[in-house]
Amino acid sequence: MKHYLDLIPISAKQHKKQDRMTRLCIVLAVFLVTVIFGMADMEIRSQMIQAVKTDGNWHACFVIDEEKGALLKERPEVENIARYGVLNYYLKEGYQIEGTETAICGLDQEFLGMVPSAEIVEGTFPQNETEAILNESAKIRLDVKVGDTVEMTIPQGDTRQFRITGITKDTSLEAEYDAFGMILNIDGFYALHPKETEAAQEELFYVRFRSFCDIQKAIREISAQFGLEQGQVRQNAKVLALMFQTRDSYLMNFYDVAAVLAVLVVLAGVFMITASMNSHIARRTEFFGMLRCLGATRKQVIRFVRREALSWCKTAIPAGVLAGVIVVWGLCGMLRYLSPTLFEGMPVFGVSYPGIAAGVFVGFITVLLAARSPAKRAAKVSPLTAVSGNAGTVQAAKRAADTRFFKVDMALGIHHATGSKKNFFLVAGSFAFSIILFLAFGTAIDFMHHALTPLRPSAPDIYIYREDNLNQIPKELAGEIAGYPGVKRAYGRSYAEFTLSADGSTVIVLSYDEQQFQWAKKSLLEGDLQDAMDGKGVLCVYREGNPFDTGSSVMISAEGKEKEIYVAGALGDVPFSYGTDDAGRGADLLICSEELFRQLTGEEDYTVLDVQLERDAADAQVQEIRRAMEQACGGGTAFSDKRISNREVKGASYSMAVFLYGFLAVIALIAFFNIINCIAMSVSARMREYGAMRAIGMSVRQLFRMVLGETATYTIFGVVFGCAVGLPLNRLLFRSLVTSRWGTPWSVPGAELLVIVLIMLASVCMAVTGPAKQIRRMTVVDTISKE
Amino acid sequence: MEILKVENLCKIYGTGETRVEALRQVSFSMEKGEFGAVVGESGSGKSTLINCIGGLDEANAGKVLIGGRDVFAMGEDERTVFRRQNIGFIFQSFHLIPELNVEQNIIFPLLLDYKKPDQKRVDEILEVLGLVNRRGFLPGQLSGGQQQRVAIGRALITRPALVLADEPTGNLDSRNSQEVMDLLHKASRHYQQTVLMITHNMNLTSSADRVFRVTDGRLCELGGVSE
Repeated sequence: MKHYLDLIPISAKQHKKQDRMTRLCIVLAVFLVTVIFGMADMEIRSQMIQAVKTDGNWHACFVIDEEKGALLKERPEVENIARYGVLNYYLKEGYQIEGTETAICGLDQEFLGMVPSAEIVEGTFPQNETEAILNESAKIRLDVKVGDTVEMTIPQGDTRQFRITGITKDTSLEAEYDAFGMILNIDGFYALHPKETEAAQEELFYVRFRSFCDIQKAIREISAQFGLEQGQVRQNAKVLALMFQTRDSYLMNFYDVAAVLAVLVVLAGVFMITASMNSHIARRTEFFGMLRCLGATRKQVIRFVRREALSWCKTAIPAGVLAGVIVVWGLCGMLRYLSPTLFEGMPVFGVSYPGIAAGVFVGFITVLLAARSPAKRAAKVSPLTAVSGNAGTVQAAKRAADTRFFKVDMALGIHHATGSKKNFFLVAGSFAFSIILFLAFGTAIDFMHHALTPLRPSAPDIYIYREDNLNQIPKELAGEIAGYPGVKRAYGRSYAEFTLSADGSTVIVLSYDEQQFQWAKKSLLEGDLQDAMDGKGVLCVYREGNPFDTGSSVMISAEGKEKEIYVAGALGDVPFSYGTDDAGRGADLLICSEELFRQLTGEEDYTVLDVQLERDAADAQVQEIRRAMEQACGGGTAFSDKRISNREVKGASYSMAVFLYGFLAVIALIAFFNIINCIAMSVSARMREYGAMRAIGMSVRQLFRMVLGETATYTIFGVVFGCAVGLPLNRLLFRSLVTSRWGTPWSVPGAELLVIVLIMLASVCMAVTGPAKQIRRMTVVDTISKE
Repeated sequence: MEILKVENLCKIYGTGETRVEALRQVSFSMEKGEFGAVVGESGSGKSTLINCIGGLDEANAGKVLIGGRDVFAMGEDERTVFRRQNIGFIFQSFHLIPELNVEQNIIFPLLLDYKKPDQKRVDEILEVLGLVNRRGFLPGQLSGGQQQRVAIGRALITRPALVLADEPTGNLDSRNSQEVMDLLHKASRHYQQTVLMITHNMNLTSSADRVFRVTDGRLCELGGVSE
């Protein structure tokens, strides 16, 4: 031993058990922060994968001419540049292949590297003006292959021949609008669409900047150099936001949320470690008194305590980081399992460096912050304390326990919890804090369920609709398609417009079949769904200023005929968008049964037919549905394949769900560890007192009841405080996030409440089990003679 | 009437090189109302002896009979209940419950039995201990002497057959020490309770009926005032 601080490892050997407790607190704090930052990092990665898949991995695009384009290419911060032009983007210009509108893109081959969704799955990139790439569905529907030639009709009435050199995947837009997509090289594009025409201004230069470049600064400089206006510069906002290269995106909210949560976790960590260290110090009052007695200055004692705390970090921080990394691996694995195609780019054993860095940083900072108060406390120990031998014999109590209403063991347990008001509010408050956090974040889950409609069971994979809203899709077609292999179900809706007699506004009436009514059950705000199903009335859909009252009747008219209909109930929302009236105002929507619709209009065919497919449905089966539709409906009926866009939104919702549920899990973990830690600390601090009680004649069971009483007191008050603050907060957030938008009224979040209370009860059981074992193993003589 | 009988008591700590024989074949007995004092050097085995007699520690061999009942033959729970009903403990560092006031601390063993204390008896003990005016005070508000008196009250409240005191005056000044000794004598004489006390202070043994010395775990009787 060469230095007084060398005493630390020697002393640590003697206090292995107490040290373990404090180390565990550090491990927990580091673990939670690593998980939170790791999850945020993972969320950014998964969003990046999504963003690159849907929007491409370019950073900015500039509407400039060739000359400026050449100058732009020479800029040092530009890593990659590609020209891109599009014709017939809105599918209305008349570029058609066999009568189907075709979107035509002209691009440099480099562009394919910036937009992975345009990846060539077969063949090569066009080398001359007469070569082209087609999308997969065009290949299937035109029944062509690489090397064949297709003929395109252009708006001027001419036709052009293109030899197919390759095939790309369908984009979500092409699938949804049932259009063909063709890619030409840039020369072919200009040949088809000369630069001199007006659309030539739409020549876009897509740019990918080099790593570590300040993209916003580069865009500003480029804009200034070429005198570009705002409309001539576009940014890939989502990708830039994910790269922290912009602040104007909703995604920044995730960082804010992660930051707030990290601060809360740091605070929880500081409290946990401080409490642990305080009890550690309290048990060693005489030791520090002795150090002071032997001549150690206050500063030396502070240094001793701090160095001791840092020595725990050596093992605790790596352990916390490791545990955090493993949990993040689990979450990555879960995303891959939920959506293997969407998250194939996400490594299961990916390491989140920001998460690790945050964990290590927070670990050290937390320990140093947490060590401040105990270090000062230790330094304050008077040398006399050590000499008198009275340290820790009697802890000052401010009032006596009340033994009138409870048995002495329970009364003492309650008193241990409530004896010190400060401690009681801190512990019960920390329990309550978990409930408040859980309930507050729970509303984000409700928001997610409302905001992401494809997650609903009613979301269709194929959407067949009449562009003129006429009920001309035969009802029998639904039955026919439902019988096809690979089809889960098919269901339609009929459409009619009426006028509300009271104010002359337009009312849309839609029919539902039984299945759609079943799905609507969850959205029912008030009234009786069964009445609507039985054709006794209609369901109105919530809208601000809705003129319908459940239980009343309204008069509607069409073609001069007036009809009275009974409003049987109100729905919060419907899983599709619906029209506006002639004045552009949102029309009111009424839902009725197919039978009532027939009575009102005399029609029973559909204007919309939704088809849900089995998971393993093949593209050929989709084509079969299309053929059936074409045969049954003829022209004017559109076919929309929503599988890709559903997958994209589903992917986004999966990652959001994993992120949000992950947060809830972390909050639950905080609650769990906090309860266990608080009780373990409290019991550990009172072991000597428990030893004395055992000596006097208190049984192990009575001691156990005492600890249970203490834990139950904290928990009951924690739950009451937590609900008192958490429920109004939940209501407030729910109203602003959900009710204001979808009209769904707030109700007590029973499920969330049950989950967190069950977690707390489980934690209490766990919290009591450990000390109970400790008490059972306790040797009275050793315990009471310990200094 | 024999209250305490110790037969061939052995206690060994550790194994191999660290093996220590704290008690070696200790045997003695005490009658009802007797006041015994145990003296010895630090580490001689005095506290081990009292802890084994009180059932706080297990012996490796031998028997301890209190009122004819073998302490080591009982299970842990039974021994705990037996201890709180039949043995009164007084410790050097008092070991009062800081959250209970003077009266509650005194009746604590009765409360552990979920019994309603006899208020007359409580008042009598408080009177004897001179703590009537301090009955609502918390231990933290009392002096060392007063705390030890509370501990004595707690040891006597169940009218135990045997009172074991481990250096009850170790933390007290001479005036308070004398008061404590007087109370223990009163317990022995007035309430006919058997008292076995450990002490370092040979002066305090002068009033004991019997004095024992423990040396290297062996017990021998030195005699006493009554002899």
